Amino acid sequence: MVNVMKGVLVECDPAMKQFLLHLDETLALGRKFILQDLDETHLFISSDIVETLQARVDDLMDQLSIPVHDKGL
Amino acid sequence: MGPPKKIKKYDSKPGASGKKKKIEEEITIDLVDDDNTENVGVPVAATQDAEKNDQVPEDEFGAKDYRNQMTLKPDNASRPLWVAPNGHIFLEAFSPVYKHAHDFLIAIAEPVCRPQHIHEYKLTAYSLYAAVSVGLQTGDIIEYLQRLSKCSVPAGIIEFIQLCTLSYGKVKLVLKHNRYLVESKHVEVLQKLLKDPVIQQCRLRRDGENELMSSALPNKPAGVTSKPGEEKPITNGAVPEDISQFYQQLDKDDEEDETTDITANTAVAFEVDPDKIEVIQKRCIELEHPLLAEYDFRNDSVNPDINIDLKPTAVLRPYQEKSLRKMFGNGRARSGVIVLPCGAGKSLVGVTAVCTVRKRALVLCNSGVSVEQWKQQFKCWSTADDSMICRFTSEAKDKPMGAGILITTYNMITHGQRRSWEAEQTMKWLQAQEWGLVVLDEVHTIPAKMFRRVLTIVHSHAKLGLTATLLREDDKIADLNFLIGPKLYEANWLELQAAGYIARVQCAEVWCPMTPEFYREYLIQKINKKMLLYVMNPSKFRACQFLVRYHEKRGDKTIVFSDNVFALRHYAVKMNKPYIYGPTSQSERIQILQNFKFNPKVNTIFVSKVADTSFDLPEANVLIQISSHGGSRRQEAQRLGRILRAKKGALAEEYNAFFYTLVSQDTLEMAYSRKRQRFLVNQGYSYKVITELKGMDQEPELFYGTREEQGMLLQQVLAASESECEEEREAGGAAGAGGARRGAPSLASLAGADDALYLEHRRQHNKHPLFKNDTNSENGVPEWAIVELQGLIQMKKDSTLGPTVIGDLHYFNRNKHPVLVLGHHILNGKEVKLEQPMAVMEKINNEGKIEYKVKAIVKKKLLFKSRPKPIISNVSEKV
Amino acid sequence: MSESSKSKSSLNLNPSPTLQCKNLHEYLKSRTPQFLETLYNYPTICLAVYRELPELARHFVIRLLFVEQPVPQAVVASWVSQTHAKEQSKACEALSELSVWQEAPIPGGLPGWMLAQSFKKNLKVALLGGGRPWSMSSSLEPDGKARDIAFLDAYALERWECVLHYMVGSAQTEGISADAVRILLHAGLMTRDAEDGSAVITKAGFQFLLLSTAKQVWLFLQHYLHTAEKRSLSAAECLAFLYQLSFSTLGKDYSTEGMSNNMLVFLQHLREFGLVYQRKRKAGRFYPTRLALNITCVGEGSAGPLLSSGQARGHLVLETNYRVYAYTQSSLQVALLGLFTDLLYRFPNLVVGVLTRESVRQALRGGITADQIIHYLEQHSHPQMLKSESGGIRATSVLPPTVVDQIRLWEAERNRFTYTEGVVYNQFLSQADFTALRDYARAAGVLTWQSERTRTALVTRAGHDDVKRFWKRYNKT
Repeated sequence: MVNVMKGVLVECDPAMKQFLLHLDETLALGRKFILQDLDETHLFISSDIVETLQARVDDLMDQLSIPVHDKGL
Repeated sequence: MGPPKKIKKYDSKPGASGKKKKIEEEITIDLVDDDNTENVGVPVAATQDAEKNDQVPEDEFGAKDYRNQMTLKPDNASRPLWVAPNGHIFLEAFSPVYKHAHDFLIAIAEPVCRPQHIHEYKLTAYSLYAAVSVGLQTGDIIEYLQRLSKCSVPAGIIEFIQLCTLSYGKVKLVLKHNRYLVESKHVEVLQKLLKDPVIQQCRLRRDGENELMSSALPNKPAGVTSKPGEEKPITNGAVPEDISQFYQQLDKDDEEDETTDITANTAVAFEVDPDKIEVIQKRCIELEHPLLAEYDFRNDSVNPDINIDLKPTAVLRPYQEKSLRKMFGNGRARSGVIVLPCGAGKSLVGVTAVCTVRKRALVLCNSGVSVEQWKQQFKCWSTADDSMICRFTSEAKDKPMGAGILITTYNMITHGQRRSWEAEQTMKWLQAQEWGLVVLDEVHTIPAKMFRRVLTIVHSHAKLGLTATLLREDDKIADLNFLIGPKLYEANWLELQAAGYIARVQCAEVWCPMTPEFYREYLIQKINKKMLLYVMNPSKFRACQFLVRYHEKRGDKTIVFSDNVFALRHYAVKMNKPYIYGPTSQSERIQILQNFKFNPKVNTIFVSKVADTSFDLPEANVLIQISSHGGSRRQEAQRLGRILRAKKGALAEEYNAFFYTLVSQDTLEMAYSRKRQRFLVNQGYSYKVITELKGMDQEPELFYGTREEQGMLLQQVLAASESECEEEREAGGAAGAGGARRGAPSLASLAGADDALYLEHRRQHNKHPLFKNDTNSENGVPEWAIVELQGLIQMKKDSTLGPTVIGDLHYFNRNKHPVLVLGHHILNGKEVKLEQPMAVMEKINNEGKIEYKVKAIVKKKLLFKSRPKPIISNVSEKV
Repeated sequence: MSESSKSKSSLNLNPSPTLQCKNLHEYLKSRTPQFLETLYNYPTICLAVYRELPELARHFVIRLLFVEQPVPQAVVASWVSQTHAKEQSKACEALSELSVWQEAPIPGGLPGWMLAQSFKKNLKVALLGGGRPWSMSSSLEPDGKARDIAFLDAYALERWECVLHYMVGSAQTEGISADAVRILLHAGLMTRDAEDGSAVITKAGFQFLLLSTAKQVWLFLQHYLHTAEKRSLSAAECLAFLYQLSFSTLGKDYSTEGMSNNMLVFLQHLREFGLVYQRKRKAGRFYPTRLALNITCVGEGSAGPLLSSGQARGHLVLETNYRVYAYTQSSLQVALLGLFTDLLYRFPNLVVGVLTRESVRQALRGGITADQIIHYLEQHSHPQMLKSESGGIRATSVLPPTVVDQIRLWEAERNRFTYTEGVVYNQFLSQADFTALRDYARAAGVLTWQSERTRTALVTRAGHDDVKRFWKRYNKT
């Protein structure tokens, strides 16, 4: 019989998909959240994780961005 | 989102989120790593900070609201400055009085950022010290600032200026007729000093004299040897009269200084015991009267003049002249630092200074290569010939006697190891001399500790520091202010670029997406491996290959920088380009550089960080960074400097030089890269972000295009040993600033003992058809060569049967001299023709039929008979 | 779309919507045909609508203007060569959307087109004259205290800024009527604070502030017209009057003689917002300002500063190192800058700020787009930015290209992930089953992803029920 799952489709670039896989494997968000690995740029994940995930992605981006300017301190 | 938001406090930086802070720390691996933490020799006033006096309400946007502390003048439109109560000054670069204001500000304040329209400066205790030492008076500074400002100058700032300037620059240490005098126009200050018991002890009394002696000041300014091309400010209607008048007055002050000062034709002085100079200098700093060192070289009859002049062909550019005027403004030589961008002609400034003083001069630089360059510069610009110039390096030891100019490295004179007899003699001679002028090249690379050592060994009347980047927030560099002298001049990069003195550079940051496989590993690996992964990212390799090809087609000369040796070798070998790194011998370096300069077929070379300070490549106009040293802004500026030398005849183009930094997206490298750019961004440079290189998709035959190739590359990266992940360590003096290395490498590591590969010597012949030479191929069959070694190659790792890179073969066509570098060992060999040529066959089983295919023919072997030698040639001292 | 999925998707899967500013065409399109019918009783509106039509549509109108019976659609189609079919269909669509023409059957059953009666009649009036003279064109004695254009510009700016100031909550709140506040609330540009009931600005309001003045005025008036009925004014009459104004001459005074009471009330409102100037309420004359004149050209290409060149000098300097300097003492301009800039210093006539990733992201989160920020910076560039020594580097924009790029990159960074709610169907027993379901979903336009290899199909949440029903049917057969 056909299996039906509700969730959220995530589309992103291949590197970012690896990041999500990494979060999933290391239980970095407290649990597994990937329902199905679709292809290079698509994942299917639980709906209730989206907000936590977005925050986590923001964290990553924050870490990688140092202000380009000095405030002149 | 409501209107009052962002309650982020302006100066609450330490309170920023912990995570961010951590990165910040990780990447601030400052090159100048001084273990001397105590703040010796910095007067208390110098630790003053106008910013701390700043108690200001914030407005609803979190901005400091100074509106109540500053009253706008009615004619503010014609005045160019805002002076904030925290010492920050904003200058309109488009104001008609910009030139006046700029010259003035650069003398009294530190530039914070100088982009196109509005510049920011900051008043600091150091900058004011510098202002005083070039002859500005407290009153003048305040008065002129008042006139230039659109608003009233805040009272706190006036106080700050007074506090910092009143005690500075009032006392000078002068070497006159070979007597050290502490001299001042302010009797009361000298009297105050003399009350101090330490200073009393240092005082030298002759014939029981007890009074202060009066000391005549020179009547005429010496000026710079070449005639200064005065640019008098043009007064036009747009300039308020008080500003232009005052400017002219200041300008005059600057040139004639004390001669115009009615009271100052006579100054008082007392003599100091030459042996106690160090003591009195230190004590005076503690008493907040730092001694300014000035050298009255025209009246020095004890030290003989050297016969040197500028050649008539040496023409100074306006900014070079201006910087020298600051140094020789009052007819004496002031000690201090001149800051000019790389490629803007720092050495001509140095040479001119030496020609002006015309006393015995010592030039200190940070590598053997620079020593050669300085010699070239002296011969090019001045009348000095070989007999007058003595080089003192591990490679070249000229006879010092009779020479007027000695050029050496910091390491050479400060290292504590045993020296050869010859070197010992030179050192003794050097220490016995009284030097007229010491030129300190690239001062920012040298830690204060090393300076102190230099200064105790070398006795000099005046010191001139030269650098491209004085990064201001580093307190250790602030120390230099007192060890050498204040910053005398700092050029504006953008203005030099606009005037065509330095190349117009397009800076670009190329974003290379991590391939999924590499990113996956990146996420789980340790920091060192992470670094290797982002450097070896296949997308980056392809971008690099694409850019190299693109610029080769344009006929450009390209230098590719990689601090990581693994990557350096891999990129260069794969693309079949020559490369230079620490272990590359001097002769080979020179050979590669010569080829790069003159051989139209060699247009791209790969270099490691040894190239940062050690050599000059005037022919390059493209620079590609594939890996770099953390967040070092200095390195970034230095590298930019490699391509800044103005290109002739290229002014028509929008840009005539290109500076690419390749960064792997979503990795720490992004953060490093941004941090590195800050200094240049504040000089007005802008980095174009390139997310996609146009035409790269169509470019044929780029490597690492397939998953399989990428997978193999990943395996290689993962198999790389821990030490290979690291950046190249700077080994010894020739490679750069000795003191700049982080933890000295052990001798064993220099000799290659900790490398993954070493040789054991047995009387056994071992033939390895490892290296193929595809330069001569006959009928499509490549020619290979056999490499024959004495001894046995033993892998530290489990050896695999597959192809393994064991070392680098350098093969020079000119003298038929193959060199094999294995780890940190070098083997010299020769090419021998085989008596019987051989063929390499491949057996192919083609549906039952056995076929043999000729893979290659072998006509010669490379014979390495001699024992491997450890590579230590780049340690400047051969013991 | 089922209600449940609608509420789910409000968990902020997508960024806040961007404020839309409709041009006249779009505005009228969204009105009912009845409303349009009333509007076309005013020759001015007919003329304005006519002017905004695509060029081809205007040709059609003129050709049909004097034809009294329906014209077969095929005939209309034959007026244009096949190579321009696209333009033609566009023109026809525009005419239908605005109810300029209607479908009318032709004896014999062919479909035909016919211009709306009122439109036809009143456009003729507008083009050929006749009808009643415009109320405001009655002759006037010369004004003893005539106002020049500079004065009118200053007045318009001052009045309009009053409204904007009120929105950013800066201190000067006097001079804005309760009526104007109601419009702002109705437009969703401001909202009542939950606690004290005071009006506070909304995200849409912030975006509103970044629009050009002409767009602001037009958007504001659209909402005014929406609420016109509540003031017992006729929206059509008001709009007609606005268009009369837009055809008037700047610097000339007009009479209030013969204006209806309703229109006199409307005039007072326009006076408050700075669209017209009147010395006294009962002066009997008024001057339209530039704000009123620009209403019709909100569409494309009106990017230039609205107010006369001398006055609207830009005040912003943007540097390559992300510094922003604003020559201003206006708290409105400071507040606007503060929307996307980290402000560092306030001097008496200068504000120093810096564009940071955080400050820009905050703006982006508020629904402001990178383009809006860039546009704002561009529009208010200090004259110095225009004469940058560039060596030909800056071609398209006066702003440093690297900073512009970076603002866009900050925006792109937020869009690296897209999240769509959906339902996965997998573990099909046969390829045929999979193909059937997939093809059904695809035909229904609800398929978002599929793979034959893994026999997995993904449909939108909205399409799920339908696909589920299909699947049940499919299984029964």
